Amino acid sequence: MDRYDVVVAGGGHAGIEAALATARLGLRTALVTLKKETIGKMSCNPAIGGLAKGHLVREIDALGGEMAKIIDATGIHFKMLNRSKGPAVWSPRAQADRLAYMREAQRRVFAQPNLEVLEGSVSGLDVEHNRVAAALLEDGSRIPCRALILTCGTFLNGRIHIGLKNFQSGRAGEQAVTGLTERLVALGFQTGRLKTGTPPRVHIDSIDFSKVDEQVPDNPPTPFSFQTEAIDRPQLSCYITYTNDRTHELLRSGLDRSPMYTGVIKAVGPRYCPSIEDKVVRFADKERHQIFLEPEGFDNPEVYVNGFSTSLPEDVQERALRTVPGLEQARILRLGYAVEYDFFPSFQLHPTLETKRVEGLYFAGQINGTSGYEEAAAQGLMAGINAALKLLDREPLILDRSEAYIGVLIDDLINKTILEPYRMFTSRAEFRLLLRHDNADLRLMDKGHKVGLLPDRVYEKMLKRQEEIAQLEAWIGETSILPEQFNAQARVLGSAPIRQSVPLEQVIKRPEVRLGALLEHLPDAPVVQPASVAEVEFRIKYAGYLDRQAELVEKFRRMETTLLPEDLDYHSIPSLSAEAREKLSRIRPRSLGQAMRISGVRQSDMAVLLVYLEKHRRTGKDVSRETVRV
Amino acid sequence: MDRAIQEDTIVALSTPLGRGAIAVVRLSGPRSKDIVGRMIGKTLDQRLERRALFARIRNGDHGGELVDEVVVTYYRRPRSYTGEDMVEISCHCNPLIIDRIIELAVSHGARMARPGEFTLRAFLNQKLDLSQAEAVAEVIHARTRQSLNQSLRHLTGKLSERIHEIRDEVLGYLALLEINLDFSDEDIEAVSYEVLHKQVEATQSHLEQLLRTYPYGRLLQEGIKLLLLGKPNVGKSSLLNALLGQKRAIVSDVPGTTRDYIEAGLELDGLYVQAVDTAGIRRTGDAVEAIGVQRSLEQLEQADVALVLFSSPEPPDADDEALLDLVRRHRERVRFVLVANKIDLGCEPALLFRLQSTGLPVVQVSALQEQGIDQLRAVTRQQVVDESALESEEVVVTSARHRDALRRAAQALDSALQAIERQDPEEIVAVDLRYALDALGEITGETTTEDVLNHIFAHFCIGK
Repeated sequence: MDRYDVVVAGGGHAGIEAALATARLGLRTALVTLKKETIGKMSCNPAIGGLAKGHLVREIDALGGEMAKIIDATGIHFKMLNRSKGPAVWSPRAQADRLAYMREAQRRVFAQPNLEVLEGSVSGLDVEHNRVAAALLEDGSRIPCRALILTCGTFLNGRIHIGLKNFQSGRAGEQAVTGLTERLVALGFQTGRLKTGTPPRVHIDSIDFSKVDEQVPDNPPTPFSFQTEAIDRPQLSCYITYTNDRTHELLRSGLDRSPMYTGVIKAVGPRYCPSIEDKVVRFADKERHQIFLEPEGFDNPEVYVNGFSTSLPEDVQERALRTVPGLEQARILRLGYAVEYDFFPSFQLHPTLETKRVEGLYFAGQINGTSGYEEAAAQGLMAGINAALKLLDREPLILDRSEAYIGVLIDDLINKTILEPYRMFTSRAEFRLLLRHDNADLRLMDKGHKVGLLPDRVYEKMLKRQEEIAQLEAWIGETSILPEQFNAQARVLGSAPIRQSVPLEQVIKRPEVRLGALLEHLPDAPVVQPASVAEVEFRIKYAGYLDRQAELVEKFRRMETTLLPEDLDYHSIPSLSAEAREKLSRIRPRSLGQAMRISGVRQSDMAVLLVYLEKHRRTGKDVSRETVRV
Repeated sequence: MDRAIQEDTIVALSTPLGRGAIAVVRLSGPRSKDIVGRMIGKTLDQRLERRALFARIRNGDHGGELVDEVVVTYYRRPRSYTGEDMVEISCHCNPLIIDRIIELAVSHGARMARPGEFTLRAFLNQKLDLSQAEAVAEVIHARTRQSLNQSLRHLTGKLSERIHEIRDEVLGYLALLEINLDFSDEDIEAVSYEVLHKQVEATQSHLEQLLRTYPYGRLLQEGIKLLLLGKPNVGKSSLLNALLGQKRAIVSDVPGTTRDYIEAGLELDGLYVQAVDTAGIRRTGDAVEAIGVQRSLEQLEQADVALVLFSSPEPPDADDEALLDLVRRHRERVRFVLVANKIDLGCEPALLFRLQSTGLPVVQVSALQEQGIDQLRAVTRQQVVDESALESEEVVVTSARHRDALRRAAQALDSALQAIERQDPEEIVAVDLRYALDALGEITGETTTEDVLNHIFAHFCIGK
C-alpha cells in the first residue's frame, strides 16, 4: 500500500472538509470511505445552515472550507432566518437538492489534486511511540500515514432501531464500522454511546398540497459563500402542516413498542431534537406540533417530514402520519429510525482536535458527540488544518470564543461534559454581538489566508471591504447633518426634528433611523456596498454594547494567554478543592481562562493556581507564555 | 507582571470591624490613585508618596455631602505591601462611613477584593518569598472556607432561596427571549416587549426590596453603636442599667461620676448593641471632666444612634440648650432619641415642649423605676431599623459582596429596560439580561449559558 501523509476515515461533511484542507495544503491525502458514491450524503435533514449553524457555514467559508460553496451550487430553497430580529442573529439556511449536493461534493473531492479516494472501512490503527503509524482496513490492508483523522459519523458500532426491531447499521441501508472503537479503547480512550433519529420520507406525489401551507423561499436568495456572486438555480417551496389529537393518540398507542420507552435504547438523544413520540409524551398539553414538508430535489421524489423524527414501528409510523392534513394518502419511501452509535467524550482532545493520548490522531464530527452537518464540517476543517499545520511544522490554528462560533464549539467540546449530542445555538456564544454571519469574512479571512486555504483574490476583496468600512466610519465621524438634510426624513420616520446641525453619529444612533436611507440624502457620503453600510450602522447603533463586549474579550484573552504547564500535577496542590483537582486533572486545561470555564473550578481555585504558576516560574521550571495561534 | 486578575483595582476594609476608633480602607491596583484622587478631589502624585494627606470625602464628585474627614496615604509601586500602587484611607470607624467609602471606590471602578487577594497579589509581585507560597495558598483556602461557611449559611437560609427565585424570574424571560432568537422557526409564541418590560420591572422591584434590607443586614452582622448623652447626673448610667437589666455603671447622685466612658453589650430585639455611657456633657472648668466631654464628642462621630437625656422635672437650662445645639449639628449623621428621664419626680411642660419642638422622637421614662423602658427600646429600634424595608422581606442581605452583586444585577436590568424602550433588537436586551444573571450567579454560584438552554429544553417543546 502507498504511503500517505494523512488518512481521513469517513466521507461525510467532516471528512470532506478535512481531506480537502490537507490536500490543498500540499499533503498527500487518502479519504477512506465505505462507498465512493455516498460521499457528501445528507443522511438526515436535506438542509444546510439554520440558526447558529448558518454562522458556522459562513465561518467555514471564510477560512477557506467547502460547505458554503457546495450548498450555493445545489440549494433549492434559501431563506435568511430571523430577518425580523437584529443583525447578530440573522442566519442563512438552505434546502439542498440532496442528490445534487452529493454529486457536487463528490465532484470537488474527486477533482482535488493530492487527494485519493479509497473504498474500505478503517477498523484499526497502528500506533508507534504514541504516534499514529498507519490506518488498518477491515480487508487487512495497512495504510502507513503520519496523521489519521477519524470522521466516522454514526457508523461506530451503529445500531438502527425501528420499533422493537434493531440491527447493526451505520445509516439506512449501510453497514456499521466495527472493531475501531474496541481498538481505541484498548489504547486507553474512554467511550460513550449516543442516540439520534430521523423522520420518514414520503413520496411527493402522495401529498395533498391543497391542505398544507406554502412557505416560499427568499427572492433573491442570499448565498452562503463570500465567493458566490448570485444563486441562479430555480427554487422550490416548502410546506407546513400540523399534527392533531388523533396523531397523538396513535403515537401513544405505539409506545409499548417504542425502543426508547421500553428501554431497549439506553443512549441519550438530543433534547432539542426530540422524536415526535417524545414531544407528545413530554408536552401532553400541546394540541399540535409543527411539521415541515421539505422536498429533497427536482429529480428526487422523496420529501423529508421534518418534525416527525420517530423510532416507532412501521405500522404506527404510517397510521400516525396519515392523520396529518395533506398526508392522508402518504406513501412512505423510507421509515424513520433511531440510531445508536459510539462517541468519544471530547475532553480527550487538544483544542486542535488532536487526541491527547495518541499523537497524529484527530477526531472530528459525531465521533466527538456533536450533531449536525455544520458542526461536523467545522470540526473536519479545523482537524484538517491543524493536522496539516503540524505536519508542516507550523503553528496550530486555534480560534477562541470571541473570534468564532467554531471557537465556541471546540472550546465547549473540550471543556464541557457532553451528555447529549451537541448542537450549536447562538445563545452558547457569550460574545454573540461580535460574531455575526455577515462579518465572518472580517473576523476570519485573515486566518484562512495565512493558513493558505483562502485564495488571494477573496482575501483582497475582504481587505477592500475593510477599507471601505473604515472610510465610511471616518467620514461619519467628521460629518454633521443639517436640519434641511434630515427633517423631511425625520417627519416620515416619526423622528424628532433637529434645530441645528448635529453630529451625524447622533442621528444614526436613533432607533428609528436607518443608515442606508440616510446616506441616500447625503451626496458627499462615500459609496460603499450595502453589507458595509450594515456593518457600520451596527457598530454605531450598539457602540455601548460592543465596547463592553470588547472589554470583556480583552479580559478573556488575557486569561486565555496565561498558559498552564502541561505537566502540572494538580493532585500535588493540596489547597485546590477536591472537585477542582479531579476536573483539572481530567481536562488538563491549556490556559487559566480555560480552567475558569470548567464547572466546579472556583474563584479560590484560580487564585491557588496563580500562586502555583508563580512558584513554578520562580523555581525555574518554564511556564510557556507564548500564545499558540497563526 | 501582566496577569488579568491584577488588572483590576481592588478595595476592602483592612482593619477588624466594629472596634477601635480608626478604620483603614485599602485599595490596590493600577487605578488606586486615580480612584481615591477622584474621591477626595485631589491628585495623588509622586510627591505625596508615603505622606499622610488630610482630605475630605464627599458624596458625588464636588460639593456633595461630607462623608468623612480622612487621612490618605499613597504607596507607589513597587514600594507597597502588594507591590502595586496602593492607597490607604484612614477614616472613622463607623460602619456607615466605611461602607460609603467602599461604595464610592466601587462606583469609581474598583471591585471588592476576594478573600486573601491582597496577600495573593503581594506574593505574585514577589513581595513574599517562596517559602511563603504554600502559606499564601492556605490562607486563601482557609479564608474561602470561612466565607464558604457563611455562604452555606446563606444557602440554607432564605436569602439564597430568594435570590434563586429572582434568578429564575430572569432565567424565565431570558429563555423566552432566547427562544425568539435560537428557535424562531418553532411553533412557540414569542414574548412581546410590552410583557417583557413589565416582567423586568417586577424583578427590579424585587431586587430593590432586597437591597433595602442591607442596612439592617449590616446591623445584624456588625451590631450598632448606641451612645448615651446628657449633662451630668441626668441619669445616663441608670438608664444604661435599665436597658441592660442589671447594675453595671456606677450610679451616684454626685454629678460627673462617669468621668470617661463605659461600654456594655446588650441586645435590642435581636440586634447586638454596643452601648456607650459617656461622661456628662456640660460647660465645665474641670480639666479631667473636659477630657471626658471631648471623648463623648468623639464617640458621637462613630455612633449609629444616640439617646440624649434630659431631666423631666426641670425646665431646659443652658447645658440642655448646648446639648440640643450639638444634636442639631449632628442630626444628619446620627439618629437621636430625646429622653425625658425621672418622670417619677415630675414633668415640666416647658421642657417637653422644647424637646418636641425639635421634631425628633421624645420618650418619657424613669430609669430608676424602669418606667417607659420598653417604649424607649421600641423607639430606638425604629430609629436604626428601617422597618418599611423589612415588612415585605423576611430575607436580609448581610454581605457587602452580595449587595454589590445585587446592585449590578439591578443596573443591568435597568439597562435592559432602556433597551426595550428603545425597541433595540432582542439580542441586545439579552446581553443585559445575561449580565444580570451573571451577577446573581456570583452569589448562587451558577453559570448562565447552560442554565438558559436547560430551562428552554425543560419547559418548551423544541426541535424538529
